[in-house]
Amino acid sequence: MGLLGIAISFVLLAQEPETPPATTPQPATFGVLHDAQGVAETFAFCTPCHSEKIVAQQGLKRDDWDELFDYMEDEHGMAPISEPIRTRILDYLAAHYGPDRPHFSD
Amino acid sequence: MNTRRRELLKGTGIAISAAALGTSIPFWRNIPSGWIPAAHAESGALMNKEGLRLLSDRPVCAETQAHMLDDAVTPTCRHFIRNNGTPPRQVDPRSWTLAIDGLVKTPRSFSIAQLRSEFEVVRQALVIECAGNGRAQFEPPTRGNQWTYGAVACSRWTGIRLSDVLRSVGIGSQAVYTAHYGSDTHLSGDPARHPISRGIPISKAMDGSVLIAFEQNDAPLHPMQGAPLRLVVPGWPGSCSHKWLTRIWVRDQTHDGAKMTGESYRIPKYPVAPGQKLEDEELQIIERMPVKSLITHPSNGVDFEARDIQVRGHAWSGERSIERVDLSYDFGVTWHRANLRDPENPGAWQGFQRDLHLPSQGYYEIWACATDSAGEMQPHAISWNQKGYLNNSMHRVAVRVA
Repeated sequence: MGLLGIAISFVLLAQEPETPPATTPQPATFGVLHDAQGVAETFAFCTPCHSEKIVAQQGLKRDDWDELFDYMEDEHGMAPISEPIRTRILDYLAAHYGPDRPHFSD
Repeated sequence: MNTRRRELLKGTGIAISAAALGTSIPFWRNIPSGWIPAAHAESGALMNKEGLRLLSDRPVCAETQAHMLDDAVTPTCRHFIRNNGTPPRQVDPRSWTLAIDGLVKTPRSFSIAQLRSEFEVVRQALVIECAGNGRAQFEPPTRGNQWTYGAVACSRWTGIRLSDVLRSVGIGSQAVYTAHYGSDTHLSGDPARHPISRGIPISKAMDGSVLIAFEQNDAPLHPMQGAPLRLVVPGWPGSCSHKWLTRIWVRDQTHDGAKMTGESYRIPKYPVAPGQKLEDEELQIIERMPVKSLITHPSNGVDFEARDIQVRGHAWSGERSIERVDLSYDFGVTWHRANLRDPENPGAWQGFQRDLHLPSQGYYEIWACATDSAGEMQPHAISWNQKGYLNNSMHRVAVRVA
């Protein structure tokens, strides 16, 4: 299901907010991550090992996100991410999960 | 995320929950984000848990709301969960073994039945707190799970003393540190990696306070609490209290396992400005946890009709007792000493309680400040550090009086 499909699902859900459907709906493709350019790459490279909920809790500067990639490679065995994907993910994280925490729910 | 979008996402999550329950949830609009319906406690990560807020589902990390920690002894269903890897799926307490090796005279492997029969079994109420509890309040934000207040608990743990077991196998004179291993696996699935392997100095391991536990609150350990065997190192970072424990390796150096090195569970050797990062060499391993308190009643944001309210909570300090707890409702101008209970045993938290009369209608904040037996008090501000550890600043709850 592409982004459009997800958007349509949301619209359908929004029409009947008081009685959520009893059938099993498809989970949102990118979980709790903010939907913007780069979300697909971010989700794809971060969630093989851990929940995207951990990503979405963070509020880091671009340099710190960059360092975190090194930490994941050195300490947790993440395969290096090749360009241009690495920059695309960094752009996404810096824009949406920076220290100002635009998408932090707590 | 705009409000509409947030609502839609929230709706999706609840829809999934409702589908799994096979019914609709009449008051689903009122459910806070991240809340797990109690009915889901029947299966999955939060089995037999209630009212925990899920921070991450892989690894499972979940904390308890402050007002749900009101009990003197924390029920198992409300004990926070901090996993680092994937827990073992099936465990058999009868065939489980704990190996003690390294710098010991007679390395041995113990069954749980042997541990129970060969050593004195004790039951103690003990505080376990995640070193990152309160990280969510750091500014600038620091990396890791954004725990607010509820990564702390004080349950009754039944087990044997680590010091008794180490004494029985004979500690070598060169022994410096323990190294803990469990049967959970690294999230990457790589069998060569450990999700976490921390340790404690031999002096701590031998001080008699550390338990190898097989029961929590008089029942076998919960799967997410390390069943069937774990360490409980009261008053030290929760990460020392290794779960699904299979091996304790006695070493002649400070352990360098997973999450012992680098920035993990380390703080600056000297005070730093918020945002100032130090090199690893200028960091030191966290040992005892600092003095802290939690207001468990009233809950934050409550409206009262009456002006007389009772304030309750707990206070604790690693390896120390609490001397006093003071409360303020006027932003720290005046303080009112609370009634303080003795701990059930060393390592347990201490309950406090006091009735306060709020002088008029309006908005109040109840502040609590504990002082420990060494005279150390909770600070107003966070002593910022790059990994967001040891936030023991005063707990504040908002109260509105009509």
